[in-house]
Amino acid sequence: MIGRIYVAYRGELFKLLAQKRTWLGFAAATIGPIVYLALELAQGPPKGPLANNIGHTGVGFALVVVKLIAVFGPAVIAALVAGDIVASEHEAGTLKTVLTRSLSRNDLLLGKLLALFTYLAMALAAFFVVSTIAGVIAWGFHPLVNISGERISALHALALDVPAVMIYTLPVIAIASFGFFLSVVTGQSVPAVGGTLIYAMSLQGVAVISAIKGAHPYLLTNQLTAWHDLFQTPTGGDLIVRAVWVSAAFALPPIIAALVIFNRRDIAV
Amino acid sequence: MSVRPGPSDAHPIEAHGLAKAYRGRPAVDGVDLLVRPGEIYGFLGPNGAGKTTTMRMLLGLVRPDAGTIRLFGRDPHRDELGARAGVAGIIEEPRLYSYLSGRRNLKLLSSYDRIGSGPEVIEEALDLVELTERAGDRVSEYSQGMRQRLGIASCLVRRPRLMLLDEPANGLDPAGIRFLRGLLRDLAERGMTVFLSSHLLAEVQELCERVAIIASGRIVYEGSLEELRARAGRRYRLSVSDPRRALSLCAAVPGITDVALAGEQVELAVSGDDALLAVTRALVEARLVMHALVPEQLTLERVFFELTEHSPAPAAVAA
Repeated sequence: MIGRIYVAYRGELFKLLAQKRTWLGFAAATIGPIVYLALELAQGPPKGPLANNIGHTGVGFALVVVKLIAVFGPAVIAALVAGDIVASEHEAGTLKTVLTRSLSRNDLLLGKLLALFTYLAMALAAFFVVSTIAGVIAWGFHPLVNISGERISALHALALDVPAVMIYTLPVIAIASFGFFLSVVTGQSVPAVGGTLIYAMSLQGVAVISAIKGAHPYLLTNQLTAWHDLFQTPTGGDLIVRAVWVSAAFALPPIIAALVIFNRRDIAV
Repeated sequence: MSVRPGPSDAHPIEAHGLAKAYRGRPAVDGVDLLVRPGEIYGFLGPNGAGKTTTMRMLLGLVRPDAGTIRLFGRDPHRDELGARAGVAGIIEEPRLYSYLSGRRNLKLLSSYDRIGSGPEVIEEALDLVELTERAGDRVSEYSQGMRQRLGIASCLVRRPRLMLLDEPANGLDPAGIRFLRGLLRDLAERGMTVFLSSHLLAEVQELCERVAIIASGRIVYEGSLEELRARAGRRYRLSVSDPRRALSLCAAVPGITDVALAGEQVELAVSGDDALLAVTRALVEARLVMHALVPEQLTLERVFFELTEHSPAPAAVAA
């Protein structure tokens, strides 16, 4: 089965790379930080973790941008791809073409899911690389002052950037999983993409309700800042561990539901 | 194009009691099918009769409410990959990736097959459907006929033993239809079994020896075309100098099962050559001038009419 999932995954990447919107997503992920950089240079430094480093070092600039784009930036990219990945094939009728080949429904769906996650990881990696390069060009490769106020070397900070972006990717993947679920259930791109965006905004909305303050650490949007753990002294780990399991808790139910529904569905289009 | 070897001596298609309803409305109701290896089997019925639903069930895309299916002895709903091994199909029109070229579509789809279809198999399939020259163009730039041919090529790269084609002549021009017939004959000669659905009897009668006819989700006939023709009777149109007199003469001839006036012509159904000879003799003896006696093309509508004993045309159901 793993071999067949890999075949489906490879096929999905092949299709993603052949589509314009994939490259538009990458373009958005890379142009975004450059636009933001231009605004920063014009308006002065923002507030927030690591923001005091702006103007002194380019290392960590990616994480400053990440904080500011909050849930909406990655949600838009996640929604566009996740909401479309099954629904567009359903609408175009190509699902039935693929499902008469030597792949099971589970193979196809899991291959699509992995391709989706790969796309998101690549888009965020592209974002990170472009942001860091742009930041270093603007402000140089100098030591960084972390969230606790301690100075860490530029190389060390750069090394921490990589896991920080990976941790940031986890809740983004959870949002994409919901989009994937909508894509399977609705079989239509527009409601799936729109529904994912509404879902992401709702999560953000729930996060500001003070009546459920006790639940805030377990909300998905809160996990978008779990990378702070890496830039605190002493470095904790609790936030990261929680980000892993909370993200998984949000991601797995829609994925399982999508698999169950897709396996029971008649492909009658 | 080689056909994938298969050890199974089971029937390519064996279905019993297939049933499927959409929102309580039966689309397929108790369909039995038995397709033998190496034959081109016609599956006939008007639009909405249940052909496409049946084919979707055969390919595992739609779950039957009742009944059993075996493709080379395997159930496509319990052993989906095992049953589909060596089976290819197109349901309705071929749906391919419009943003990819024809060649890249085949490359992608053959990668899903995992049977090691190399570039040479893809090129051979493109050559067979005469698309080599346009294989580098995007499918969005293809005509409907070219898409049909690419769809068939996408089946061929699986090197199937059984191919299910749903109305493959739709959208083809006469040259395309002739090409398709030649291709299917060629594939059958190489040992491939073809299950061909159509709403046009003329489309399958040149290719198939055996057919099943479905109407309102039920099989109303299953057997040879020869027998079908015999059951439907032989019909002629007669152009004669005095049609009204010819009508009364024909009606009196033994073996004439049906006779009617159609404009300035006489339509008659005959039981055999003796009856036809008797009609000719009667007309000559009455000194009527015969301008033409033309056999009528056997149409699906006529066959339905005969098979359903003059009942109204089958109601459309979800296909």
